[in-house]
Amino acid sequence: MTTVLADPPPITNTWAAPALATVVALVLAAVVFAIVRSVRGRTRTPDDFLLAGRNVGALPNAVTMVGGIILYSTVIISIGHIALNGLDAIYLVVAFTIGSVLGVLIYAAPLRNVGGYTLGDLFVLRARERPARIASAATTLVVFTMFMVVMLAAVGLVANRMFNTSSTVNKPFVAGVMFLVGLIVIAWVYMGGMAGVTRILVFKTILMVLAVAVLTVAVMAKYKMNMVHLLNDAQDHAPPNKSGAKLLEDGRLFSKGTTYNSGQDPWVHLSKLVCIAIGGMGMPWFFMRFHVARNGREARQSAGWASMITAAFFQCIIILGLGAVAILHAKNVQVVPEHRDATLPKLVDNLFGKWANGVLGGFALLSVAAILAAVLINGVTSFTKDINAARGRNPEPAAEVKDIRRNVLVIGFASLVLGTAMAPLLTHIFIPTSIDLGASVVLPSLLYSLYWRRFNTRGLMWTVYGGMVATLVMVVFSNGISGDPHNAMFAGLDFKIIDLEPGMISAPIGFLLGYLGTVTSRERNDAGFAEMRVRALTGAVIPAPKAPLARSADTGEPESRTPSEAH
Amino acid sequence: MGTLDSALNRDRYVAVHDSARFAALRRRSNTLTLWVSVTFFGFWFLTISLAAFAPDFFNHGLFGPFNVGLLFFFLSSFSVVVTTAVYMRLARARLDPLSEEIRADLEGDLG
Repeated sequence: MTTVLADPPPITNTWAAPALATVVALVLAAVVFAIVRSVRGRTRTPDDFLLAGRNVGALPNAVTMVGGIILYSTVIISIGHIALNGLDAIYLVVAFTIGSVLGVLIYAAPLRNVGGYTLGDLFVLRARERPARIASAATTLVVFTMFMVVMLAAVGLVANRMFNTSSTVNKPFVAGVMFLVGLIVIAWVYMGGMAGVTRILVFKTILMVLAVAVLTVAVMAKYKMNMVHLLNDAQDHAPPNKSGAKLLEDGRLFSKGTTYNSGQDPWVHLSKLVCIAIGGMGMPWFFMRFHVARNGREARQSAGWASMITAAFFQCIIILGLGAVAILHAKNVQVVPEHRDATLPKLVDNLFGKWANGVLGGFALLSVAAILAAVLINGVTSFTKDINAARGRNPEPAAEVKDIRRNVLVIGFASLVLGTAMAPLLTHIFIPTSIDLGASVVLPSLLYSLYWRRFNTRGLMWTVYGGMVATLVMVVFSNGISGDPHNAMFAGLDFKIIDLEPGMISAPIGFLLGYLGTVTSRERNDAGFAEMRVRALTGAVIPAPKAPLARSADTGEPESRTPSEAH
Repeated sequence: MGTLDSALNRDRYVAVHDSARFAALRRRSNTLTLWVSVTFFGFWFLTISLAAFAPDFFNHGLFGPFNVGLLFFFLSSFSVVVTTAVYMRLARARLDPLSEEIRADLEGDLG
């Protein structure tokens, strides 16, 4: 949708306050360094480094999950999207909240109760160890790579909009900021591990929620708290739309001809709403938050509170989107898709003046950097834990922490180089693609693992790799890659076949393949199913008699942890 | 963990899994999750299907700037809060005590 270095049309930047934004960003970076330093003692065992000792309380964990949904695209771009497309864009934003409920109902308690670090720990209860671990690593690392690239691009977007006033993209500057922020994030994760990441997420969520709350009150105050006037003004001041629908009417994204060069409306927008609702929760770096909870009950609680806070938060985002068009009028709402993210800074400039954009710029940079940190530690977790298990290695905790720290550096640098190298491309497609994988790989494999007695190794393989290949092949032939001059990664080419969100088709394929793979294999593990069910529903772990106890005594782990979780 | 130990552990999980108490917990949990999921996501899919295929219905004005589409948006946002609250409450009342009992028995046996 938006890009950094791919030469969007020039736009006069009337809002940025780069000097103040830089000061705010430096202050926030210093605060975060202090926060991270304060927890650096809590990174001595793999459990501590990767999962904050599984000791994050329900409320702070809920706040981190809210922070996980506060992305550049779900907040800043969404506000511009709503200002332009009204009701239909509002449904897109609500879909993220709907998707978060899946965490409460399905993911949270069973994942935490089964324990472990990754999806692989659930898969191995019935599938063969090595393929199960590799499947988990493949899923996690594909989503990890795409998210690292797209979040680094988001750093570039913030730098371009808020730390710079040139009308075209100042490429060396933007690339420099991306690289610098990437290095800082690697240092944060290296020092603080998951305890640090958790605190960074809490900090950034509080700042962003405060900023959005203040802006919402300012917008409402302009209308003397009268929602009807605000909506009327929004409707009257909205730019016209070729579908003929007014701002608060259905049709700006649904009606025929709204998708570029496509005859598949209204299925295109509908498929996006379906995929976000069923796939949004399936991002490993996000549902990893359930593993850091103290127990299954607290994981469920944190997911529930996160859903409620998110629902309220997005109401504010919607008011800001509609308020932007009501206050700024059509000529100031950015119609070019590449500039949708300029609508919010223009609104802020109008309400408070440039200084507020300086503050918002610092907050936004921290917000994006915090997501980068959360994604990085998830990639490192899967890379260390799943790959070690797949290779049959079971290192001592101290040696494993060394592995983990080395992986933070190696994986961090590798993805930083990749992300900066890919900055000239429109990589925004990676967010919907990750969500599609959540719907077509994670959701089916998780549901089958949790609820289907017969599910086995071949079923798992077919679901994971079949769903993944189906999704990725369709993404290549979708309008996110070619055939759309505004939104496509290769805007000049056109080998597009489908406009539907690929997950709409690949999710059923993932489920179907999982079924077929399972029933064509004779493997069956009823005892494994019994163990999985008992653990998922009760959180019980039968203490393993000797070895793990002795080991945890050596490393001086706190006694509160159950021994079998310590390995 | 030795093979013998893990085989013993598996037997104990299977024994619990086959007990009447666990069957009750499993039934309650499945019923609750199923009904809440079906109702909640059913309403969402109904909402977006209407948005896609019945634009005239959604554009029907109610009062002032409000129309049926906006009403459904409020209802779906509200359903998030209600569903979450109801599910958390029912899970705490109907699932947690039983699951806690089973866990304590299972983990306690070995001393």
